[in-house]
Amino acid sequence: MREYWVILRAELFGLFISPATYVASFYFLSLLAIGFRFFIESFTTTDWILPPLSSLVVGLVFGSPGLIPFLTMRSFAEERRLGTLETLMSAPVGSISLVLGKWSASYLFFLIICGFAFCFPALLHFLFPEQGETLGFTQYEQWIGAWTFLMIFGASFTSVGIFASSITKNQMVAGMLSFTLLTLYLSVMAFSFGESSSLNSIDNFSDFWNACVGSFGHGLHKLQHFSVGLIDVGTIFHQLILSFLFLSLATLQVERLNH
Amino acid sequence: MSSETKPLPIVEVLNLRKRYGAIQALKGISFSIGKGEIVGFLGPNGAGKSTTLRILSGLIPADSGEAKVCGVDLAEEEGEVRRHIGYLAENNPLPEDLRVIEYLNFRARLKGLEGSRKRERTRIVLDICDLERKVSERKIGNLSKGFRQRVGIADALLAEPRLVILDEPTIGLDPRQSAITRKMMERLRGEVSFLLSSHILSEVEACCDRMIILSHGQIVTEGTLLELQKEFIHNTVFEIVAHGNRIDLQREIRRIDETCELIQDDPVEVTGKRRFTFSTEKGSEVAENILKRLLGVEQFKVSEFQITRPDLETIFLRATKKNWEDQDFLGRKKKRTEVANEQSE
Repeated sequence: MREYWVILRAELFGLFISPATYVASFYFLSLLAIGFRFFIESFTTTDWILPPLSSLVVGLVFGSPGLIPFLTMRSFAEERRLGTLETLMSAPVGSISLVLGKWSASYLFFLIICGFAFCFPALLHFLFPEQGETLGFTQYEQWIGAWTFLMIFGASFTSVGIFASSITKNQMVAGMLSFTLLTLYLSVMAFSFGESSSLNSIDNFSDFWNACVGSFGHGLHKLQHFSVGLIDVGTIFHQLILSFLFLSLATLQVERLNH
Repeated sequence: MSSETKPLPIVEVLNLRKRYGAIQALKGISFSIGKGEIVGFLGPNGAGKSTTLRILSGLIPADSGEAKVCGVDLAEEEGEVRRHIGYLAENNPLPEDLRVIEYLNFRARLKGLEGSRKRERTRIVLDICDLERKVSERKIGNLSKGFRQRVGIADALLAEPRLVILDEPTIGLDPRQSAITRKMMERLRGEVSFLLSSHILSEVEACCDRMIILSHGQIVTEGTLLELQKEFIHNTVFEIVAHGNRIDLQREIRRIDETCELIQDDPVEVTGKRRFTFSTEKGSEVAENILKRLLGVEQFKVSEFQITRPDLETIFLRATKKNWEDQDFLGRKKKRTEVANEQSE
């Protein structure tokens, strides 16, 4: 456990001193702020059915393929390129602590960026309380739901990035791979992550398939629940499994490198 | 000393084997290292030195055999073993964007050092490795090769290891930097055991108590320099700087030792004298008797006499030669017919 904290601290420090992280975060937050501003301005004229706060979540989730690679691509690829992974493993540190430490650092940094993004509506509400109330910023269940949604998806997205970084020595390749995997993942999520069938209604393979991956045409269905403060345990479980899967693959890869 | 009171060796390796695909990197090597010993690990490229060092530092597992560090079995308690070891990897990879002090603090925390002990140990290793304050504040990426190597060694020494494994610690260093590394080992002689792999034989000769020579995954010989000299070099070679011709000199010498052979005869500049190199099977005492006799003969005017000890390079080449000839490029033993064919060619 001690090694985990040491790795986490060192990785966070590494992210904080890396110019690439700042550049990526700045551009990401700037684009998000601009998008959010225009969305809020035109909110009354759009047919957006979700609370306005969810637009920020959608922006953060769909912008992740552009941000997550910057947070994760260095973690293992750079260590492998420099050969410092061997030095690291010569200390009393296990591969699980190593992977978890690096993943936690990227994840925390992602949450920090999400925290900054959440400052936009918070600031809006602080400066213009009436407008904020009209837009529903006083309903705290929406904030909790939106934050939980980001937390669970951030966990699985960063684990994909860590896995991509562990399989190559080249940072750029790691970055492109995690961008591709996340885009693919979001595409699948956007188109197929709909209503899951209950066990009672599984009568044929099609029902079973829908229960597993959801039905097409219900893009971001789960965000509807989260955006109004309805926590969907199934979605949390789903994302935790994905995080566990990719982190396990990254751990296996690190162990394979040493053999 | 009886076997009961004999201290446990720091490293005990028994019949260690490792295979990489078709190549048998280690073919059952066994050796031990005592407390405070500095042991040189020598061998040609691909002999299995780095593999052995990586196994001992817990980076890779062995296929079979037993390896114990400080009495702890590597296969059973790899993490515990790493606490007793300081390891400097070949090429010494270091993170470029950290400052020396930041890196050492990180490594110290990783090795379980906290608070005042961490500060104290960091200060001590910076002192041992001659990394003054100004250098410790610099980024590792901006350091010269010599300083980087010292940072790597400082890291290896951080957690007061009982065994320090150095894989090619002076490769690419200038003579002054190499001397600093040797000085550092000298300072810790007796307290910490060192296992040092190097291609620079003069350096191993200068600082190691004992050498282990590997070739094709096997230990071909081990011992102190004197023991290796006795094992591989049977003749005593001595040099004489004297006047006169070699026939007279050789005749005079053969009166004492019939086996003595002249192996080299070179003129010495300006003086008009010549440098004769002889080889005898009868050891250094006979060589000294020869000197006494020659000093009594005025004609030769002997001005220099020196018994030359064979260096480690000669021993290394002889020790690895036979093993090298017997193996093919994959480290497998050649068939008798192949060897016979090569010899006939």
